[in-house]
Amino acid sequence: MRADGPLRIVLAEDAVLLREGMSELLRRFGHAVVAAVGDAPALAAAVEAHEPDVVVTDVRMPPGFSDEGLRAAVALRAARPSLAVLVLSQYVEQTYAVELLDAGPGRGAGVGYLLKDRVGDVEEFDDAVRRVAAGGTVIDPEVVRQLLRRRRDPLERLTPREREVLALMAEGWSNGAIARTLVVTEAAVAKHIGAILAKLDLPPDTDDHRRVRAVLAYLRV
Amino acid sequence: MVVLWVIDLAVVALSLFLSAGLTVMALRSADSGGGVQAAMLIAAVALLPVAAYPITAWAGARSALAKAILAPPELELDRRLVEVTRSRARLVDAFELDRRRIERDLHDGAQQRLVALTVALGLARLDLAPGSAAAAQVDTAHEQARQALAELRELIRGVHPQVLADRGLPAAVADAADRSPVKVGTDVVLPRRLPAGIEAAAYFAVCEALANVAKHSRASRASVRGRLVDDVLVLEVTDDGVGGADPAGGTGLAGLADRVAVVDGRLLLSSPAGGPTLVRVEIPCGLTVPSG
Repeated sequence: MRADGPLRIVLAEDAVLLREGMSELLRRFGHAVVAAVGDAPALAAAVEAHEPDVVVTDVRMPPGFSDEGLRAAVALRAARPSLAVLVLSQYVEQTYAVELLDAGPGRGAGVGYLLKDRVGDVEEFDDAVRRVAAGGTVIDPEVVRQLLRRRRDPLERLTPREREVLALMAEGWSNGAIARTLVVTEAAVAKHIGAILAKLDLPPDTDDHRRVRAVLAYLRV
Repeated sequence: MVVLWVIDLAVVALSLFLSAGLTVMALRSADSGGGVQAAMLIAAVALLPVAAYPITAWAGARSALAKAILAPPELELDRRLVEVTRSRARLVDAFELDRRRIERDLHDGAQQRLVALTVALGLARLDLAPGSAAAAQVDTAHEQARQALAELRELIRGVHPQVLADRGLPAAVADAADRSPVKVGTDVVLPRRLPAGIEAAAYFAVCEALANVAKHSRASRASVRGRLVDDVLVLEVTDDGVGGADPAGGTGLAGLADRVAVVDGRLLLSSPAGGPTLVRVEIPCGLTVPSG
């Protein structure tokens, strides 16, 4: 699940220096930044005007410098079922990640919540944008780490390897990507996933997107 | 007080002099006729109790004076207490504003610059031949910038977490619980947002209590419960650890109590040896407390 061609992107980031840097980064990877804006109302207008493939937005923006970017993302996801949205946050906050995921459950469009620091890992960032654009779910490893800590008891039944696989599943990776990360075969990953879903009483599901949702829904209860 | 003593004497002397004078005059005017003498004697005797009035009056005045000098009257005390409370509330508000300003400045300044720096270094790295000396240098710089960002983020969280300002105490406490190495269940239900100073004091008190749980209690799980009861915010942090927490033991409990005290709250601790430990924080959210 990864969009390979160039994407049309609307970028919302109020810090001018960073907006320029990110625009350059996205162009460098072949994407078209059709609008780069600095506040939430301008973001909504730009989406209306440009119909982008994906929106990349900061959480905190003018006018209130609170969570306008997140609220805008939530509203966009609710209003446009097909729009992929990647939210960048300066802080790891479950609350924001959960609100974002809930704003369009069961819909096909991709969604992502990443720590802003990840932008600096330029190739990984480009990969995250492409996965979200292709309908995937991308969740920051830090968020997943905290979620895993929340549900300790049933998770203790998992082997260390299964916990690793579960974390990568929750971050939104496909079987193939998990296999590459852990340097094992895809068949081995599929076996682990089967065991995890059985131990956690989750329905077996071959669709990555629905599976990620199920795992995240399970973890955040 | 010497002056008062002189006045005391004068008042007593004057009062007695009035009756005594009349008596003496009555006795001296014996030749002027029995009728007049008798009348003056009667007046003198009648005046005796009257003469006691100035003495009593003065005694009363004096006691009031002494009270006024030795201890301010209650009204004055109340007024001063209100003023001290208000000034403390203003200080709490000012600290809270400062914390937010510092957080905002760091977020808008250093943090954004560092992210932009990592982007620039990341892009520079793409242009360098893999394995070259320059690439290695840029990698090192990239890693340093990343670590600086991570450290700055933790620092800012300690100053004022964004989720507390945006979403209030229940969400901020839930996030704090998620960060704890001990499994922490949270159940904080409030009917409304509380004044910013109180939210911050309560949040940092919970963080401190959870840090104590992680550091000292050897607990396997903890829980945070919060409710607003008759306009008093009641937060309870319990754990299943070994107990024996001692406020004098330098476990951060004294600091926790101080945090709570500045918003007129109080801290109650039950931690018998062998556990469990219960930390209860009560903060009044009425009208006399700082408003955000």
